[in-house]
Amino acid sequence: MTTPASTAAPAAGPASGKQDEQVLGKAYDVRLMRKLWRFVRPHSRLLLVWLPFTLAAIALELAQPYLVKVAIADHIAVGKLDGLATIAITYLALVLGQTLVSFGEQWAIQLLGQRAMHDLRLASYDHVVSRRAAFFDRMPVGRLLTRMTNDVESVNEMFASGVITLATDAVRMLMIAIIMLSLDWELALLTFATLPLLALLVNYARSAMRRSFREIRVRLAAMNAFAQEHLSGIKVVQIFRRETAASREYDVINAGHRDAYLSSIRADAAMYALVEAIGVTAVAVVAWWAVAHRGASASSVATLGLVVAFLEYINKFFIPIRDLSAKYAVMQGAMAAIERITELLDTKEPDAPPPATPIAATPVPGAPLVAFDHVEFSYGAEPILRDVSLVVPRGQTVAIVGATGSGKSTLIKLLTRLYEPTGGTIAIGGVDSRALAVADLRQRVTVISQDVALFTGTVRSNLALGAVASGRTVDDAELMAVAARVGLDRVLARRPEGLDAPVSERGGAFSAGEKQLLAFARALIRDPDILVLDEATAHVDPETEALIERGVGELMRGRTTLVIAHRLSTIRSADQIVVLDRGRVIEQGTHDQLVAAGGAYARLEATFRRGHA
Amino acid sequence: MLVATNVLFLGIPVTTGKVVATLQTGDPEHRIATLCLLMIGFALATAVTRILSRIWIFNAARAAEYELRGDLFQHLLGLDGPYHATHPTGDTMSRLTNDVQTVRAMWGAGVLNIVNTFFAFATVLTMMIRIDPWLTLWACLPYPTIVVAGRLFGKRIYKTSMAVQAQLGALSNEIQEDLTSIAAIKTYGLEAERRARFVASSQQLLGRNMALTRIRGAMGPVFAGLGSIAMLLVLYLGGRRHIDGDLGLDQLIEMTQYLARLVWPTLALGWMLSLLQRGKASWNRLAGLLATRSTIVDGTGPGLDAAERQGGLELRGLTLRRGDRTVLSDVSFTVAAGTTTALVGRTGSGKSTLVEAVCRLLDVPPGTVFLDGRDVTTLALTDLRGAIGYAPQDAFLFSTTIADNIGFGYGAGTTLPRARAEELAQVGAPPTTSVLVDGVAPSRVIEAAITAGLARDLDGMPEGYATVVGERGITLSGGQRQRVALARAIAADPRLLILDDSLSSVDAETEKVILDRLRVVLANRTALLISHRVAAVRAAHQIVVLDDGKVVEVGSHDELLAAGGAYAELYRTQLQGEAS
Repeated sequence: MTTPASTAAPAAGPASGKQDEQVLGKAYDVRLMRKLWRFVRPHSRLLLVWLPFTLAAIALELAQPYLVKVAIADHIAVGKLDGLATIAITYLALVLGQTLVSFGEQWAIQLLGQRAMHDLRLASYDHVVSRRAAFFDRMPVGRLLTRMTNDVESVNEMFASGVITLATDAVRMLMIAIIMLSLDWELALLTFATLPLLALLVNYARSAMRRSFREIRVRLAAMNAFAQEHLSGIKVVQIFRRETAASREYDVINAGHRDAYLSSIRADAAMYALVEAIGVTAVAVVAWWAVAHRGASASSVATLGLVVAFLEYINKFFIPIRDLSAKYAVMQGAMAAIERITELLDTKEPDAPPPATPIAATPVPGAPLVAFDHVEFSYGAEPILRDVSLVVPRGQTVAIVGATGSGKSTLIKLLTRLYEPTGGTIAIGGVDSRALAVADLRQRVTVISQDVALFTGTVRSNLALGAVASGRTVDDAELMAVAARVGLDRVLARRPEGLDAPVSERGGAFSAGEKQLLAFARALIRDPDILVLDEATAHVDPETEALIERGVGELMRGRTTLVIAHRLSTIRSADQIVVLDRGRVIEQGTHDQLVAAGGAYARLEATFRRGHA
Repeated sequence: MLVATNVLFLGIPVTTGKVVATLQTGDPEHRIATLCLLMIGFALATAVTRILSRIWIFNAARAAEYELRGDLFQHLLGLDGPYHATHPTGDTMSRLTNDVQTVRAMWGAGVLNIVNTFFAFATVLTMMIRIDPWLTLWACLPYPTIVVAGRLFGKRIYKTSMAVQAQLGALSNEIQEDLTSIAAIKTYGLEAERRARFVASSQQLLGRNMALTRIRGAMGPVFAGLGSIAMLLVLYLGGRRHIDGDLGLDQLIEMTQYLARLVWPTLALGWMLSLLQRGKASWNRLAGLLATRSTIVDGTGPGLDAAERQGGLELRGLTLRRGDRTVLSDVSFTVAAGTTTALVGRTGSGKSTLVEAVCRLLDVPPGTVFLDGRDVTTLALTDLRGAIGYAPQDAFLFSTTIADNIGFGYGAGTTLPRARAEELAQVGAPPTTSVLVDGVAPSRVIEAAITAGLARDLDGMPEGYATVVGERGITLSGGQRQRVALARAIAADPRLLILDDSLSSVDAETEKVILDRLRVVLANRTALLISHRVAAVRAAHQIVVLDDGKVVEVGSHDELLAAGGAYAELYRTQLQGEAS
């Protein structure tokens, strides 16, 4: 069957919105390994620790069959008991030695892997956290989390049982080959005569698995994406009664996924069993040669020991090949994970980048503290703000009013450079905000949003976050004083732990009103030049409402404030009111001016008064 | 098959022994070629049975995985809203992926190895005892130590892996917390502070992983070492017996070959036990999930025929609680068939809960919600939901084409993410078909799209109806997404149309156009619509104002404005409507 999709070129290029699973098949990719090397190199000294351990472990292991040969040929077969005990003790020493150095080998390589993975995790974290806000709108948190946890773990898996094992296996096989050749080159060459057969087998299994894995990945990705979407949209599925249809569709993908394993299971089974059979065949050939060509000679006893040693060496030679398929799967998984992580690390969109051409950072005396000048902003193709100009003079309060979706919150995000305007400028004290260091800019502005961000910890640790940017340390006395100023002391009094009251993720145990008070206290500690307040609309009881109003009053006293206002009291007491409608400033002035103008605000205010009359 | 594999496999040491005997004594009878061929024969026969048994077991495990996953998915789709609301999608996906895989590993590799180890020990020991019971006893001496060591190590490995898992969980939570609060972290300049926490957490994970490495690193060599000691005992004691003339050299070598057969199964034992342990834990979680029953089930009353469906709705004293919070409190009102009722109220007043209750996405007590005079709890869910077209607030869309998303409303089209469907097409046939035929959408889809005011947007998209909505509909604007969800509800051709704030992200002009068109659609239908905008609700026959889960006002737009009560105040405090 030919579908249009199957004839199209698979990957259009790195820029085409690549899906997670599109990079398939390769078990070893030099380009990716080079990228990974960046994280391994700082710890490469551990490789120097690991190497002697590994070589020693292999040497100690491979000396054992040789001892067996000596024991049989020189002692047991000829009936010489002297020295057998010495051999036994040496053997025991070899075993113990091998145990010890294997431990060292494991320890060194794991430490290397773990440290490299720690760095990789950290690099991903740093990279992600320094992306701009729009990046997070596009990237589901779950996916970023998978990159930093599961994917890093798969790369780590490669250290434990992938590439390093392959390398040691290769060294071990080489050493076995050398030992066999030096013991008896004829028998060794006979053994190696089976190698072309092995190569054919490995090649068959590899290509079968590669095909199979590609198919499995595609089907698995489809299956998971399908399940994920249907679980996220379960409401829609249920309301439109698509449960049965969805199950049926899932079943087809699920069955395809099951069947995709068929050829890899076959290849794996064939590889495992046939490598073993080839090993035995090699033994048989060696034995036959030994008997047929040397059997009746005087050296038959020596040959006997040799054959026994060969049995062991051949066995050890073939085991790594037999288990190759398992390592292959690990490698492939790790390669896909590295690809996904590096793709994440390659994403652009830095947060608040410096301007392309330097902008003068000289303060203009007498300039208003905050000035929006013809600011435009669109999100994708959707214009959000159009030609917005407003000023907030030092020490004054400006209230912004407007319906949901009129662009109020966007204004705030532009002020702190979470988003960049698509046109116009925003100046702080007459200096273009892009000319300021982002950290400085954000330190001068404190935003209190409706959704208060609290972090797991205690009330103390959350309040102390207010002092982080300025690098101050705050003592309990200061914290309590600040708490008292905004009315948080009453909240703390209700909790036996006081400042040590635990805060769970997103502030679970605190009500919306209490969280607001926490945010106020934190903001007071920050003591910002510019306060930005998004008044909470959530319903709170009258007592909390009064508390909040008091807290806000305390916070705003003598401070330059930009407030997204929902309460008439806040709006009235503002020095200036800006009315936003669908991204445009439609009116601007004091309460009295706007009422006198008889425009939108006046109509609004009239309904207010009617309500309160 | 496994028995055959293990028995045939024994042929190899037996023939090896014979070959060795030949080596020792010379080959007067020229048996060596036969013996070697026999050995190769045994090897090939073993290979055949081994291939077959591995294929059989692994395929059976995959088949079981398929069944289990299919059952789970079907079960999950049937579980009610409250279940899904309390179980994050990520957790549920982890059941469906990780746990299913762990159970499969238990059935595949775990069972294969355990059975194999059992047979390997049984057959090998039998053969060894036949040669020399006394030597066998000595050879077995280290094995009880292996069992004891295995148990000791097993316990410590389990404990340490749990600690690793816990730390991984803690790290994930930290990442999640930081990423969801990223805006606060940036504006408060907390990057360094949060990073320090992350580094500490990641370091802790490193430490715990190394602890696990130390135990594992000790276990592997101990197991291998004990196996070597068994070999040493056989060689030394057996060697002495040979010198004493009690044991043939060929027999001695046969013994060592048998012992070599036990090395791998012994090594695999520890790994296998952990597989079984993890498999069991996963299986228990899945069994728990499968045992979860939906509380929202089909009513057993008489069916509601299509002809009887008018969409008339009545609520009688509906009270709903979530935990210890009352979300809806004694809500009563009637929506006459063929009329439109608007629901207004501030965020959190219970509007969305109310419409979800009507659809029984949340369960309601009997005798509180009636559709066309029938208690909804007595109706089959398919009868109830078949009468309803619902555009939920979050406007969830599938990442397939716009046409397929709209077709979803009337049970057509595919919901497989488009990108995945294309990949699937490269490795085989995609499982389902789109509503699009040669890129042309069916008229039902087109009509719904026009009503929802999508026509102009679709014209602007190069691929029109075949435009793929990105994951979570990100490639469309918020307003476009809402309108696709609206079109989907309209395409369902329902008697009762429920729109939950469906035009909140749509600009005023478009809203006006859509409202005009909707009026035609609503002319012969019942509608329940939630909105914050006066323009959208003023034309409704009836406006119900909710506050804190209670109905505070009912009336028409003019009546309520004149009354100057909650409705009027709501629009003032939210500064809505009149400003435009």
